[in-house]
Amino acid sequence: MAKKTRIKAKSKKGIVTVKAMAKHAMLSGVEAKKAKKEMNFITHLKAETNGNVVFEVSMSQFLSKDPYMKFKYKGEKGEKLTISWVDLKGDTRTDTVKVK
Amino acid sequence: MNRRNFLGLGLGLGAVAAAAVVPSSLSAIDFRATKPKAWDATSTEAAIKEIYGTSATTASGVKLKAPDIAENGAVIPITVSSKIDAKTVSIYQDANPESAVAVFTVPNGGIIDYSVRIKMQKTGNVTAVVEGKDGKLYSAAKLVKVTKGGCGG
Repeated sequence: MAKKTRIKAKSKKGIVTVKAMAKHAMLSGVEAKKAKKEMNFITHLKAETNGNVVFEVSMSQFLSKDPYMKFKYKGEKGEKLTISWVDLKGDTRTDTVKVK
Repeated sequence: MNRRNFLGLGLGLGAVAAAAVVPSSLSAIDFRATKPKAWDATSTEAAIKEIYGTSATTASGVKLKAPDIAENGAVIPITVSSKIDAKTVSIYQDANPESAVAVFTVPNGGIIDYSVRIKMQKTGNVTAVVEGKDGKLYSAAKLVKVTKGGCGG
């Protein structure tokens, strides 16, 4: 079951810095074999605000467990930021925070 | 299950998942769906070629921050920043069985300052490529020494 993505978004002079950590095991082929589980990892993650995509990434299994990412975009305080991801098995998770 | 089966399975599911996601987003591009071959490429050069059609890059304009020595190969912080007006940013390494790590799509007016954590099995080169709006590729590479492998090795 997909757990909550931790998101911190802070605005300073019109630039929002986002730190996000998605909860996901990110099992690569070798790791999955060792853990006797199926390979599974987040394949696509995106962040949206006001219907605009401000950040998106297609990724492989070589991101660390519980992938953490930091990025910046032009935005203001009080706006809502939505981060959603989908993994190899089709599980999805969407979380929304207010920019501080 | 052998590795070949793994990859086939992965790509199939990836494509299905991407198809299900597409309607909800207008500008999103899932590179796993549009460039499936790139994720199987076993060298950095081949992966870049799969994604951009060429592997000729100019080594300038891109700042890649990575540790010289990573004690724990499971968590290697990588930061890519650039002032180039770009379309995409991608990260590769040549220590793991496949080379491509991540492809970021830069939105219009986006700020390129991305940090992620990656894992590497052994010592290898990390390469960051920025695709400018002028169609040229800019890159930066750095050797990261890994003392303890991060892919269960």
